[in-house]
Amino acid sequence: MIWQIDLSVLSLVVICAFATIMVKDLLSAAIIFGAYSFLMCLLWTEMGAVDVAFTEASVGAGVSTILFIAAAYQTTRIVKARRRGRLSSKIIGLGAAVVMGLVLLAAEAHFPGFGDPGSPASLHLSPYYITHTLADTAVPNMVTSVLADYRGFDTMFETAVIFTAGLAVIAILRRVKQADRCELPEPVAISKGYEDTIIRFVSRQLVPFMQLFALYVVAHGHHSPGGGFQGGVILGASFILLAISYDLNLVISRMSEKTNIMLGNIGVLIYAGIGFLCLLLGANFLDYSVLSKILPATDNIMARSHGMLGIEIGVAIAVMAIVIAIYLNLSSHGKLDKGL
Amino acid sequence: MNIVVIFLIVAGLVFFFATTVGLLRFPDFYSRMHAAGKGDTLSSLLMLGGLALYEFHEINFATILVGVKILLIVVFIFMASPTATHAITDAGFESGVQPWQKEKTEGESP
Repeated sequence: MIWQIDLSVLSLVVICAFATIMVKDLLSAAIIFGAYSFLMCLLWTEMGAVDVAFTEASVGAGVSTILFIAAAYQTTRIVKARRRGRLSSKIIGLGAAVVMGLVLLAAEAHFPGFGDPGSPASLHLSPYYITHTLADTAVPNMVTSVLADYRGFDTMFETAVIFTAGLAVIAILRRVKQADRCELPEPVAISKGYEDTIIRFVSRQLVPFMQLFALYVVAHGHHSPGGGFQGGVILGASFILLAISYDLNLVISRMSEKTNIMLGNIGVLIYAGIGFLCLLLGANFLDYSVLSKILPATDNIMARSHGMLGIEIGVAIAVMAIVIAIYLNLSSHGKLDKGL
Repeated sequence: MNIVVIFLIVAGLVFFFATTVGLLRFPDFYSRMHAAGKGDTLSSLLMLGGLALYEFHEINFATILVGVKILLIVVFIFMASPTATHAITDAGFESGVQPWQKEKTEGESP
């Protein structure tokens, strides 16, 4: 760690965070938030947390910026000036915030310091993973083995959370044409410029490489940073690129709403199904080592590696489908007719 | 070898600096996009090319792999960045941003 870089990036992060809150234009706020995410990604990389940085770059800076922009485009860009609250309520709020902050600061003194080698996590937990991962699971990337094997439950429910988020977006936004009660202002029509040959040609050339890279990220997550979440998000982003440079119908003709929901289900089911398969074979839920009984030519250790690959594929399918579904609904008012 | 690498990276930094100055000082949207698009692409190419060349100072499988990956990034930046610039400029043109002129003249459409 080089403290000069840390300090400058961290101060930029704080500036970006304040700017995101202060800016009145929501589109600018979304873009500044994207910059914030990229700076956080730099910071993670600099601390050596490359997997987290990868996730931050693909999810935080990439897809969520697009989703924010789509949402701001379909609703309203300018924040209305809020009605001023009464002074007494402001004072109460400030007092509560200050007291809470002081309590947190007082509690913070009892925690071990940042990167303290004597803290319980560094003494017992981390050395276990560092020394046992390769022997237990034959996976060089410790982060993947911790995420997908040692703490498989956690990741399974993260996938379920993403799936639920997609369902919630569909449930709230999706509107069938006949039952269109709620009248929103029509978005500003984009003129003929969206049929741009250059943009279409280049995105058509880039999409296969993006998808190939996404598959590489999923499959190579055992050896390098990456995994199901990042790969799934990149796969989804390639479809979003198509939807932006062409139109929504092209994407819908390939990934229809039904397909998306089906794939989201299938992804979570693959994950949970592998867990249940382990139960059926007589071990604990998500204990992949018993999979060696049914997988050909694997011992207990390689079975854990293959089990992780299986659930990463499930995660990638679910995340891809849900990202596409959320974008399609957000960018078209839930009508799925025409988007950005 | 090292001299070439240093030259490439320093040239990239110089172009990045020019890009930043242009972005801040140019008068209107189109000239700013001109600075951002061209300078950004060129300086990224130069710096990444320098880094790739630096990887090749020791020829073995690992360094060649890293160098080729950096060169692939260069290729994709070379494709994507001008297209993005084009898309933004086009969107600005479509939504009717008027180009800057030294003296305001009537009836001169871009």
